[in-house]
Amino acid sequence: MTHAAAQAPAGKIVDRDRSAALAFLAPSLLFLLVAFVTPLILLLGVSLAGPSGLSLDAYGKLLGTGYYLTVIWNSLRLALLTTIFALAIAYPAAFALARARGMVRTALLTCLFLPLAASVIVKAFAWTILLRSDGIVNRILVGLGLIEAPIRMIFTETALIVGSVNIFLPFMILPIYAVVTQLDRRLSEAAATLGAPPIAAFLKVTLPLTLPGIIAGVALVFSLSVSAYVVPTLLIGERYPTLASTIAKAYLLARDPQFGAAAGVALLVIALIVVTLSARLAGRENSR
Amino acid sequence: MSLNDLSRRSILKAGGALVGTFAMPAIVRADPKEIVVGGPAGAAKYFNGDLFPVLESKLGIKILYEGSNSLTNLQKMQADKAAPKMSVVIMDDPVMIPAAAEGLITPMSTKAIPNLDKLVAGAIHRDGLWANYQKPWAGIAFSTAKLAAAPTSWTEMYDPKYAQKIIVPSLSNTEGFWNLLVAAHLDSGKPYAEAQYDVDAGFRKLKSLKANLLNVYTNAPQAINLLEQGEAWMIGGQFSAYTLIRKAAGSPVDLATPSDGAFAMPSGIAKVTGGPGGDLADAFIDAMLGVDAQSILAAKAFVAPTNPAAPKPAGFPDSATLFAPDWAFVAKERAGWVERWTKEMS
Repeated sequence: MTHAAAQAPAGKIVDRDRSAALAFLAPSLLFLLVAFVTPLILLLGVSLAGPSGLSLDAYGKLLGTGYYLTVIWNSLRLALLTTIFALAIAYPAAFALARARGMVRTALLTCLFLPLAASVIVKAFAWTILLRSDGIVNRILVGLGLIEAPIRMIFTETALIVGSVNIFLPFMILPIYAVVTQLDRRLSEAAATLGAPPIAAFLKVTLPLTLPGIIAGVALVFSLSVSAYVVPTLLIGERYPTLASTIAKAYLLARDPQFGAAAGVALLVIALIVVTLSARLAGRENSR
Repeated sequence: MSLNDLSRRSILKAGGALVGTFAMPAIVRADPKEIVVGGPAGAAKYFNGDLFPVLESKLGIKILYEGSNSLTNLQKMQADKAAPKMSVVIMDDPVMIPAAAEGLITPMSTKAIPNLDKLVAGAIHRDGLWANYQKPWAGIAFSTAKLAAAPTSWTEMYDPKYAQKIIVPSLSNTEGFWNLLVAAHLDSGKPYAEAQYDVDAGFRKLKSLKANLLNVYTNAPQAINLLEQGEAWMIGGQFSAYTLIRKAAGSPVDLATPSDGAFAMPSGIAKVTGGPGGDLADAFIDAMLGVDAQSILAAKAFVAPTNPAAPKPAGFPDSATLFAPDWAFVAKERAGWVERWTKEMS
């Protein structure tokens, strides 16, 4: 049998596999095209459609006005702080969850999943009750002697970050938990056996191995919090304008779809940058 | 039957059954005795609880109420312009103005809606494009648990002793305009009729309110809730249809009529252009303007009826003392004010 003869059937099999894969993919590709790609193209088109043709005015206003740069920074700051605090809480929580057994694990998983069933509005309202001047948080702080008298917490940036971390925390815990459950505990034990102090073992072994979960969690929480609308609206109100509230105002009040679409594109670009960076970092980790 | 046994006929049969299954709810939805009414979310409780059951049994229809804010309803009407889902829309006057300009609402006739003829003067706008079915009034809502006496003047909200105790509505909400108007009046010393056009004076004065602000709300129920809890002491520019309902339910809140002015909040009702169930929409609007419905609204929502045969609620201020602004000017300028408000008050 010649080399060419041996190659022909293999090529046919590959072609057939590709066709089958494409056939399976076709419905989801079609759905993505209709439900995501087309609206995004329309959004981009609207953001460039000025009253007298193609125009970059909306982007000029968004990126060339001090106020709107503050709005973009507010959204980024909210997302950054939420992501950092969520990661700090979620990382040990994911380990606790992965190491727990039996009823304890069930209870912890219930605590994690149950809040997801509650509406964001309910959770945001609940925080305004907890953080008010005679709320439980102020009472505990006064009771512990940490503050002399109740302090204002509601409608502050602190309240916003606390509420936002609480609401988005499960989206950080779950991807890290998924990675930690796959972690071979013998690896850190081996590092210890070889003389690595606990911190070195953590930094050289555990942390790199859990990085894919961290990257996925960061991408999820950042994307969700940078575009949050309900949480800032209820927890801090109009005095902390974000890109999401700017989009709502542009469409509902100013009736300026071009500017609203431009703000939407800006939000999308921010989320895309984070997701692309995360995917690259995850890819680099996987290729190691 | 194996997969190979599938014939064209069996596929057609299955397809027919599938189409039938999915088509049925559409047939049910198309019930001509059902109409969709869009209106304020804040009114949903007393509409659905007290008013609509009466209208449904009177008219023999089912009313599906979509509660949202006026601007969202306007957006929905624009999006559904080709095939409207709502038959009737209930919105504030300043939002009716752009809806009328965009042809989203259609003229109503006294032939189809006889009660239009019975309304007080000034309740019908633009030759019947919309009519006011009720008029709440706006003043200063306050916590009776925190304030021994009702505020007597709008200047009280500016007193430094109320630092971080005041809530005001956003200019995105119609009732947000009252604070801009009052601020313009206080800064310029002009009467309201002139001060309403002196917006710069209004913004100048409003800046001095910032230290007293606990929050600027877009969500009225949240603001009322904070007042009920005593976290906020006053809400400037609140109206009777929210505050007095909570007072009647036993909450420690009340609505003050400041000596330097209280305001009329006209709420409109209109027929959606090309909306389904045209006759039902006419019958519904006629019933909303009738004595029975207006009496229920006056009793349950503490609003002034626009049908003079219906009684005014007890304690309602003399309508002649309530200032009604130039809503066309407000509608035209509001988007710019909201942008300025967000920049200067955040």
